[in-house]
Amino acid sequence: MPDNAGYYHVAYAATLVLYTGYALSLVWRRRALARRRAGRPGSGA
Amino acid sequence: MTDTAAPPRRLDPIVPVAVVAVVAAYTRAIWFTPPERVQGFAQKILYVHAPAAWVAFLAFGLTALAGAAWLFLKDPRLDRFAESSAEVGVVFTTAVLVTGPLWGRPIWGTWWTWDARLTLTLFLWFIYVGYLVLRGVIPGREARARAAAVLGILGALLIPFIHLSVYLFRTLHPMPVVARPEGPTMPPVMLKTFFLAFFAFTLLYVALVRARLALAAERDALEDAATEA
Repeated sequence: MPDNAGYYHVAYAATLVLYTGYALSLVWRRRALARRRAGRPGSGA
Repeated sequence: MTDTAAPPRRLDPIVPVAVVAVVAAYTRAIWFTPPERVQGFAQKILYVHAPAAWVAFLAFGLTALAGAAWLFLKDPRLDRFAESSAEVGVVFTTAVLVTGPLWGRPIWGTWWTWDARLTLTLFLWFIYVGYLVLRGVIPGREARARAAAVLGILGALLIPFIHLSVYLFRTLHPMPVVARPEGPTMPPVMLKTFFLAFFAFTLLYVALVRARLALAAERDALEDAATEA
């Protein structure tokens, strides 16, 4: 069997980072909107 | 339609369900599914690559449907859904384009080839990145929704070509191993992991789209309040 486990480790790590990063971006953007709603400076979606 | 009231800020119950399902899929793929004899451990990339491709197609297909429905009904909720689904679809297509070369390098000996399926998938990614950019540069809500609906529908026309590209063109990309008339060629232990991953990433899509929809509704409510003030 070929020794290529490193590629699958990187693929799994990359997808986890991508999905988690996107989910966090939604949280941050929602917080930025809440700040705007409260009248403080910031940016939204 | 006055539908832009800010939604209550509490955790969507689908989020923990999706997180548990995704963790279960990764856990089963990593520790409870054997590697394939010929391809080795790189074959396990299939469990994150194929479900991401399915979700991307689902996301863009629903973007097109919502866009088409918006053209008739002019309901802003449809436009917000199309926007949200397209954005999540771009995330999943990015996962496809990242994991594909990570499988191709050890199996084909190259990171990338201008094969029909790979090239069309890259085009699909560009189209929906363009869709999101387009939404950002058109100021009027109705004009933005109309232009986005048209581009969303046109972009989704690529999906059947991508799916059928392995039959229509000479391609390096593997033929389907599950969705085939003769039945799946995978051993049951791998097949269960494959289906669990499809289920988990579909749930993740639903959770992300719902979160993105809430964000879009809140943004529109804020814009409406600013307009009225």
